[in-house]
Amino acid sequence: MTEAADVLVIGGGLVGCATAWHLARGGASVLIAEAGDLNAGASGQNAGSLHFQIERRFLENGDALAEQAARTIALSRLAVEEWRGLEAALGGDLEIVMDGGLMVAETPADMALLEAKARREAEWGLPTRLIDGTEARAIAPYLSPRIAGASYMADEGHANPRTLTRAFAAAALRMGARLTVHTRVTAISRIAGGFVVHAVRAGEAIAVRCGALLIAAGAWTAAIGALANVHLPVFPAGLTMNVTERTPAFIPHLVQHVGRRLSMKQAHSGNVLIGGGWASRLAQKESGGFDLSRPPMVRPDALEANLKAAVDTVPRVAGLNLIRTWTGIVAITADQLPLVGEVPQVPGLYVAAGGSAFTLGPTFARLMSALILKRSDAEEPLEMFAPARFNHLNGFMG
Amino acid sequence: MAEAADYDLAIVGGGPAGQAAAEQAASAGLTVIMIDEQARMGGQILRQPPVPFRVTNWLPGGIYRRLKRQLAQTEARRDVTWRGRTSVAGLFPEEDGFTLLIAGTAGGGGRVRARRVLIAAGCYDLPVALPGWTLPGAMSAGGVQAFVKSQRVVPGDRFVFAGTHPLQLLVAAQVAAAGGTVAAVLFAQAQAAMIARLLRAPLIAVRNAPALLGAASAYLALRRAGVPIRFGRTVRRIEGETVVTGVAPAPVVDMICGPADGATIACDRVALCFAFVPQADLPRAAGAAMRAGAHGGWATQADAWMRSTVPGLYVAGETTGVAGAEIALLEGRLAGLAIAVDAGRVAAGAVSGDVRGIRRRLARLGRFAALLDDIASPAGLIDQLPDAETILCRCEDVRFGAVAAALDAAAAPRGVSGIKLITRAGMGLCQGRTCEHAVRRLSAARGGQVSAAGFTPRFPVRPVAIGDLIR
Repeated sequence: MTEAADVLVIGGGLVGCATAWHLARGGASVLIAEAGDLNAGASGQNAGSLHFQIERRFLENGDALAEQAARTIALSRLAVEEWRGLEAALGGDLEIVMDGGLMVAETPADMALLEAKARREAEWGLPTRLIDGTEARAIAPYLSPRIAGASYMADEGHANPRTLTRAFAAAALRMGARLTVHTRVTAISRIAGGFVVHAVRAGEAIAVRCGALLIAAGAWTAAIGALANVHLPVFPAGLTMNVTERTPAFIPHLVQHVGRRLSMKQAHSGNVLIGGGWASRLAQKESGGFDLSRPPMVRPDALEANLKAAVDTVPRVAGLNLIRTWTGIVAITADQLPLVGEVPQVPGLYVAAGGSAFTLGPTFARLMSALILKRSDAEEPLEMFAPARFNHLNGFMG
Repeated sequence: MAEAADYDLAIVGGGPAGQAAAEQAASAGLTVIMIDEQARMGGQILRQPPVPFRVTNWLPGGIYRRLKRQLAQTEARRDVTWRGRTSVAGLFPEEDGFTLLIAGTAGGGGRVRARRVLIAAGCYDLPVALPGWTLPGAMSAGGVQAFVKSQRVVPGDRFVFAGTHPLQLLVAAQVAAAGGTVAAVLFAQAQAAMIARLLRAPLIAVRNAPALLGAASAYLALRRAGVPIRFGRTVRRIEGETVVTGVAPAPVVDMICGPADGATIACDRVALCFAFVPQADLPRAAGAAMRAGAHGGWATQADAWMRSTVPGLYVAGETTGVAGAEIALLEGRLAGLAIAVDAGRVAAGAVSGDVRGIRRRLARLGRFAALLDDIASPAGLIDQLPDAETILCRCEDVRFGAVAAALDAAAAPRGVSGIKLITRAGMGLCQGRTCEHAVRRLSAARGGQVSAAGFTPRFPVRPVAIGDLIR
């Protein structure tokens, strides 16, 4: 069976579904092909932070990376506006909370990092405010007396990853996009004016003829890229998230730590979510390599360190029951920046992967759709994420 | 959280299987720790009263005699470290053994390191959802029995028992003997069908006469006490505004439940007794191969030496499939011997006679367990009991209708973990132990595979205070 679409989106995660929505609104015929269930990867497994301050992972790796990260601020500012308008645009409650976020510091070294971060943010126009421990506790009385200061940003917060992707998918379908789940792409061939993509759905082979192709397949992106004979250099990483029992609301903010891996928030349901980038162990295939079809294993030491950071920051969580620790797989790149844009070696092939795609995902999707529809306003904010920066890997490919 | 202590063997579960294994392993010179949530050894079958209680004639009857002997023997050993009132929250396979994260049932945490681990964690009552099942006063028969056995308390005044499992006769008789009133015992099966199934395998029945006599004498005791025992009837609805005040009974013909008929039976407690589910969260989370339990949950696959598919991880008793205490005891003994052999403390040849004898008895008892399972099976019935408004996940207040709608929606997830993500069913304190089986069958009824993977197993298998997980 052969189907046709202007654009085929491979991957039914947040970015894939949101891009499909924008494309369909722009008049394109779109088909989303998802290998498993919708929202089953990192889009649904992340903990839902809306973080716009420069992340600590960029600050702990020297000036060059921090400088690069500062340049992502332009995109963060777009993302703030994007999130503010999402519920109205999609219709319905997405449990979006933007009541402020604090990145806290405990030690003098932490404070120095915060100050350096604040300077870069001021330079690039991100409205963060450096406050001392007393003011931090005035805003967030749940913080430990250990907290020496914080960087506060009023727009930060959180949203519900369990519902957002499906809301985008439903909106895309309303605009005429089509969706096929449990459809595994097996081959990509280039033809004049586009691609023919072969796939298997419920044991049946299908083919899709499309003018443009977007790979938004998270940790599976590199494998899909290989079908088009290009390297899409994203690497899987296992992460760990924790959730407590429900408790009456007491943390209205997003809480991060500049010196330790930590993110905390209290979800709509009352559960406190604790994460921050602690590793879990990817499953291995017997034949070698990582097995992305199985959940990564919890590492007890990472778990303990994460919970310790949480208790040191918000002592009250020590008395809450942990009810679940879950692991998920994200995709990361060599320079920690997402990979978003057209692949130079294969015109018409686009990619959006490589992390940060909850907070920035809706914005990536809007810009990506403009890029695919050849609208000129899309290029600039995405430039630093373009796959062209890894061209040297694809010198023999394409 | 305290620093890790090291053992050759950690046994999770102090019931007959764990005791028998501890006996073998400690005798072979291995250092053994036994961890259990109860204060005293015994498991559910021999749930002991607290030490200060002076109880005479505790659990009388032939069926308990052999088990009590094993318990006395294991409890008397000085070379088995007993860690009661402790949950194992997580089991993590490592290069050379395992780390167990433990948590006291009254607080406190710690780590145990062990070269080998045996999970003999028993089973629990299959939670069956029907209208009113979350009202205070609705219990499982196993829950009622735990009060009677260990606390010497009858947890209520007037009981209705309902289900398909003959164990409810024993529990009802224990309640009556302890001074409670049993308003009725309802079996969904026809009496003739139960007897016919027994008679189809008369030799197995005769060889296991003691177990059957236990149920028969409970039956006679209840009849003598004037307790109505009804066959072909079950509970259609548990009634009450804030607590249980009665049940609405309904006829069952060939496991098809009709509408409620007849008068409400007044009671303040309902004890449901349909089936039992293996407790296998720890081996499942550690990656051991499973097979779907007969009526829910997961049974751990084991080889002829009770080894799971995870190297160094052994399983015995109901964790491998619900089959009763006698089988558990023998499987525990077998696992203990295997652990001693695998640890190089005993030559395989030296135990081959023992092992042959154990396997022979296991085969015989296994046939009886299968017969009992067949007689007691609630298959086909329990899915008729809830309606769309009935709560399916009591931790998160998710109703059957909401889960059905998620399964019927466009682009519905194929796996039940996807349904959990959408509906929150299974996201609460119990980690889905209560509702997973119902979600799996709802999914299967729509063309999914009931045996397909359930909810992705997650740490911790019991809720643990965060303060108890850090040092």
